[in-house]
Amino acid sequence: MIAQEQKPIEEILDYLKGKQKVVAMGCGGCATFYHTGDKKAVKEMAERLRKEGKEVTEIILPLGVSACEIDMSSKFLEKKRKAIENADALLMMSCGDGVQVIAEYIEKRIGVTIAVVPANDALGLVGGGPKKFKETCQMCGQCELGKTAGICPLTSCSKGLMNGPCGGVREDGKCEVDPEKDCAWVRIYERMEKMGELAKFEEMRDPHAWSRAKRPRLFEIEEPVNPVSTILSSLPAYLTLFGGPKYEEEE
Amino acid sequence: MGDEVYSQLMKELKEGKYVFTGELEPEKAGDVEEPIKAARELVGLVTACNVTDNPQSFAYVSSLAASYKIQQETGMECIYQLRCADRNRNALLSDILGAGVLGLKNILALTGDHVSLGDTPDAKPVFDLDSTTLIALIRKVVDEGKDLGGNEIHNPPKLHVGAAAAPGAAVLKAEIAKVRRKIKAGAEFIQTQVVYYTEVLDRFFKELGKVDVPILVGIFPAKTYAQADFFDKYVAGVDVPPDYLQNMKETKSIKDKEKRKEEVDRVNIEFFTGFLEHLKDTPAAGCHIMAVGYPRIIPALKKVME
Repeated sequence: MIAQEQKPIEEILDYLKGKQKVVAMGCGGCATFYHTGDKKAVKEMAERLRKEGKEVTEIILPLGVSACEIDMSSKFLEKKRKAIENADALLMMSCGDGVQVIAEYIEKRIGVTIAVVPANDALGLVGGGPKKFKETCQMCGQCELGKTAGICPLTSCSKGLMNGPCGGVREDGKCEVDPEKDCAWVRIYERMEKMGELAKFEEMRDPHAWSRAKRPRLFEIEEPVNPVSTILSSLPAYLTLFGGPKYEEEE
Repeated sequence: MGDEVYSQLMKELKEGKYVFTGELEPEKAGDVEEPIKAARELVGLVTACNVTDNPQSFAYVSSLAASYKIQQETGMECIYQLRCADRNRNALLSDILGAGVLGLKNILALTGDHVSLGDTPDAKPVFDLDSTTLIALIRKVVDEGKDLGGNEIHNPPKLHVGAAAAPGAAVLKAEIAKVRRKIKAGAEFIQTQVVYYTEVLDRFFKELGKVDVPILVGIFPAKTYAQADFFDKYVAGVDVPPDYLQNMKETKSIKDKEKRKEEVDRVNIEFFTGFLEHLKDTPAAGCHIMAVGYPRIIPALKKVME
């Protein structure tokens, strides 16, 4: 998921200076998990903006409807087409991806060019939860995990080394840059040791091929997903969420 | 990797001569007068000198420019230190080729400290290659006349490449595997991080086992208490013995400058005599004396090894 936090309200208000009619839009994807774009966050933001004397229209996306999935989120935009056409700005409560996908739709499909400004700062692609999250993948386009015991050194090593550890490992196996963080290469060593693959550790891994991370990356799939039928056909599977042991997060 | 020898350093190492190397540090300045002065004092005392490349990720005069000037003006053979922290593979290749053009013969391939620990922490860290892949790149350039993209290099440079090792690494088994990896990648000599404890050194040699490349053990006779204290506190993988630190600390109270210098020398000679005597019984091929700004101590240390 894309970890995120809300920007300081002063910054948000600064972007909305002189904009009277504002649409505050949330996101039912990552922003819902980080309380930066869920129903409650949108309502609170709308209240705050009304206190500033602004006219606010809310667009709330339910869990599962991400702003960046435009075939789904556009339905909610279309429902508020009039408000958007008349708005001076849209405050997008998602990651930067959502901000830009929505801005493009408004410009091209609704036909107005208004300020679409961010309410949040995206902090990285992270996994884990429900409280603690960790960045482990940077979507480089050329996955190296098969060579590194399932731990990405490009992301988890501060230096992004393909052949570590560096000389900066601390006594407790932590990183010289941040004593809170594990040295990725010590973890890779330990995992390879347990798996009986230390010979692999001693082999040199080639430099990473960055050519697949040329930005901006464009991507196309042949068969688009049908969100409605996918959701409906998945419903029985969601029953799994109601069984099994409760997941307890490690301290 | 052929048997050709391009530098005095490699010549002496191949002949099995006990080799001493020194260390020179370019500064944040528009000249290299200080390291040149230091190099002049080291001529005849050491076979070659490392020229540091932005140590601790503080940005100084380019080690390439400094190595060239030092070698040209003093005749001191340089070991050009090259770090991956600030350069991508293309910039590294350019500097490797540049080193050949400028008549440098030895490169020490290093990963480098993280830039966030340096004096301009907002700089973007590069680390496109690491010490191992940098060694492999240099070997490819020298041995095959090709770069990492397989592109031909006309008249490739003749250079030797060395690697660093950290005998005091916190997780020694991983460090040992990494040193072996660097040797496999084509490192021709190894210079170690500073070691003060003979036990640390013995454990390192024992774990590493027999290797085909000469290893120069790093020592750091401190010129001042502050230097020793800095190593103890801030350099990863280096512990300075408390007795030595205490003795160095006590020299601070000596008011007379000459007497203080004598006492500092005495403390160092006393400590390092024991260490160097022990070094004779290890597989070390030489000693890398990182006595920056402290050349007067070197003759006494070399005498122990005779």
